[in-house]
Amino acid sequence: MNRKPIAFIVAVIFSLVLAGTVLAEDINAYMGTSPDNNAKIAKFIKDKTGITVNQTFQSFGEIEARAKAEAPNFNADMIVGCGSPLAFMAKKNGWAEPYVSPAWKGVQEVYLDPQGYWYNMSNFSFVLVGNKDRLAKTGYSMPKSWKDLLDSKWKGEILMPSPLSSGTANMMRFSWLALYGDDEGWKFLEALDKNIAYYTRSGNAPTDLVGRGEFTLGITSDENVKKRIDDGYPLIWSIPEEGTGYDGTFCLIFKGTKKLDACKKVIDVLGTQEFSELMAGIGYLTPRPAPNALYGTTPPKYIKLDLGQAAEDRPKNNDIWKQKFRTDFK
Amino acid sequence: MATAEWSVKLQARGGSRVKDFLNANLINILAAFLFLLLAFFLLYPIIAVLLKSVQGPSGFTLEYYRIFFSTDYYFQSLYNTLLLGAINTVVCVVIGFCLAYMTTRGPWLLRKPLKIIALIPLIAPPYLFALSLIILFGRNGLVTRAFDLPWQLYGFTGVVISQSLAFIPLAFMMIENTLMSLNPNLEESAYDMGATEATILRTITIPLLAPGLLKASLLIFVMTIAEFGNAAILGGRTPFLAPDTYTVITGESDFNMGSVLSVVLIAPCIVIFFVHNYLLEGKKFTTIGGKPVASEPRKITPLVLVPFVIITTVAAGAIFVCFGVVFVASFYKILGVTHNAVLSNYLDFTSNHAIYNSIRVSFMAAVIGATLGVLIAYVIVRGKFFGRSFIEMVSLSGFALPGTVLGIGYLLAFSAPPFKLTGGITILALNCVFRFIAVGVEAGISKLHQIHIEIEEASADLGASFLTTFYKIVLPIMFPAFIAGFVYTFMTAIVSLSAVVFLVSPGFDLASVKIFDAAVYGEIGIASATTMKLVLIVMICMRVLDFITKKTRIGSSMKKSAAV
Repeated sequence: MNRKPIAFIVAVIFSLVLAGTVLAEDINAYMGTSPDNNAKIAKFIKDKTGITVNQTFQSFGEIEARAKAEAPNFNADMIVGCGSPLAFMAKKNGWAEPYVSPAWKGVQEVYLDPQGYWYNMSNFSFVLVGNKDRLAKTGYSMPKSWKDLLDSKWKGEILMPSPLSSGTANMMRFSWLALYGDDEGWKFLEALDKNIAYYTRSGNAPTDLVGRGEFTLGITSDENVKKRIDDGYPLIWSIPEEGTGYDGTFCLIFKGTKKLDACKKVIDVLGTQEFSELMAGIGYLTPRPAPNALYGTTPPKYIKLDLGQAAEDRPKNNDIWKQKFRTDFK
Repeated sequence: MATAEWSVKLQARGGSRVKDFLNANLINILAAFLFLLLAFFLLYPIIAVLLKSVQGPSGFTLEYYRIFFSTDYYFQSLYNTLLLGAINTVVCVVIGFCLAYMTTRGPWLLRKPLKIIALIPLIAPPYLFALSLIILFGRNGLVTRAFDLPWQLYGFTGVVISQSLAFIPLAFMMIENTLMSLNPNLEESAYDMGATEATILRTITIPLLAPGLLKASLLIFVMTIAEFGNAAILGGRTPFLAPDTYTVITGESDFNMGSVLSVVLIAPCIVIFFVHNYLLEGKKFTTIGGKPVASEPRKITPLVLVPFVIITTVAAGAIFVCFGVVFVASFYKILGVTHNAVLSNYLDFTSNHAIYNSIRVSFMAAVIGATLGVLIAYVIVRGKFFGRSFIEMVSLSGFALPGTVLGIGYLLAFSAPPFKLTGGITILALNCVFRFIAVGVEAGISKLHQIHIEIEEASADLGASFLTTFYKIVLPIMFPAFIAGFVYTFMTAIVSLSAVVFLVSPGFDLASVKIFDAAVYGEIGIASATTMKLVLIVMICMRVLDFITKKTRIGSSMKKSAAV
């Protein structure tokens, strides 16, 4: 007798547990921008195409590791937002499904692969952020040149992400190496290392820790800077006179997807003026010109880069990095 | 799995020859089946990690191990990890013991509040303490600023503090259960005969508690060195193996080196596991399956009371404050920076699906894990086949497996056909089942040891079939063990990050991973609010569970069996 209510409760729990899948047009995507921006992009896609994007936030590095581990049986239909190394690797290894999208006509070549293996939905860069309160307290002003960061007055006060875990930091490294040349570049990194408090795991972490006033300066991804200032962090940002580097936020369709048509629709919608405006509104530099929330109408000064070469050099540079910066501990 | 048992049941209805055969051999068939499961979901992933660590581009190589052992950095990382594990284990077990002693033997007044404070953070992901510590004691933390303190949080100290705070609740839960299942009569008679509190503690309580303490130490050690959230957030320049493993895999996608780091992480755990088994050889003990007995508060001498009260107050205070910070932070956009309270963090529904997934995964894992655990315990104790101790060792080895290892193992083993499981919810549940199965198994074993086999034999002699005996006698006896396995698996699966972080996929996100990402991205408000939602839902789940066990016949027969 008194088993009935229990049976009922158990049945309810089980049916809740099992009612997991919803029938609708949806695709699974690895998305590498911040959780916030992922949600914005997914909403945009849903609004414009009706396609639901199931996504989990992952860093560029995590997506790359996943893709490598899973190839050639990918657990997602496409990538919306990964770093250049994976995009180039996917083309080379035949992991990507080529699709030349008519919606991307008229976009510059840095933003798309001519054969349609990958598309770059936006560029991001790194900037210098400073904590206004801490700067005011010490009376120091924001460094004008990257080399100013080497001054010993900043010792233990600068944060940057680690190139081993962060795509943003990898971009910093290849940008400085391109700016100064290999020899000078590594010397710069070694001197900078003396002032770095520690290397964070995520490329956005310095923005928050500096905003919170834990450290004075941060070299950080420009992705969240605008949002964090709006949120109320006492942050000031600048790009030193030598300029900054850039990397793309790449999209591609995985070979073997069962939802090729939906993926194509997604690629199409990412090439529209409206999408560029959305991304520019966050602070990204976009395939189609749009007023930028962070940089305004004048794009920042760029260091001349070869992203393909940078992707190729990464393992080598990681090894050098480990040898140089993993020796002294406290 | 359920269908396999069903078909066995159906067959049992066939001819009586089949029935006799089954009656005689069902336990062996069951054992074989369980062993296959263990081999496939526990041994195979570990072997996959081992293989990957010696598999270079051109076949077998020890090159990755050579790199590991010839690099100072990795040595330092290993050293830090072990030191962290050791310090944390001692701190957590000592404080956990003091807390548990006060809630089971101390004044009534303190019992409830201490217990609540000590248990609530159990459901909060461990790395939340890192965030609280930054808000309070960071270089620009509220406390640091208020008192102008010059300390350095980012580094070994910060990790030790946050990791200790995070695992005190677990230590407390396990030790408290052991303490409650100790018969207080011994202590009380010693007290009546005039022994001092310190003597009772030294000569009765602690020796009786030793197996439980050891078990708690082992679990805490393994959890501490594997959970990388705190070390990743507060580690600064100090290297630790678990976050390094995570970085090597996710940053450099170097699965070979990641596997080597994992194997190195297993080694000390296995050593400690065997030492622990050796120390407990032949000793009977109960861990978290014991029947609770409340004991009357005694007059505790100030000599014991004062240090205990100090330790518990400090620990409970620290936990309370840290958790309080999380609570307060959930109402601010950025606590400590912006100053108007908002509800927007709670109205952010992007994490709701992840919370739902977490509950689903934990519930599935807890049901399957506890059932399997109890069955495995049964075949180990009652079976008479060759290889029982091997099954026991394999199933209990889960105690010694760092989460990262099983995470990577599952990723390596189940990414490609024919065993492709990644990209769904099943793999998350299975991973939790086999990571935490040891608790159910062990609770089941200790329960079965308390009940003499004669009851089952009597049932069989009176003509009951194997299944009837199992259903009428064994299941009621094992029910508390099932509950123990269920609760432990449910609670740990819901907050654990170290393994599932490698296995979540689009659409199958988990709350613990979401909270970690939000935390890493500096969305402290959202991370806190998500945690509070999770805590609330888990508390409701536990209440419902409590209600069901109390109201069911299984529950009342459990009381009867306890009376036997």
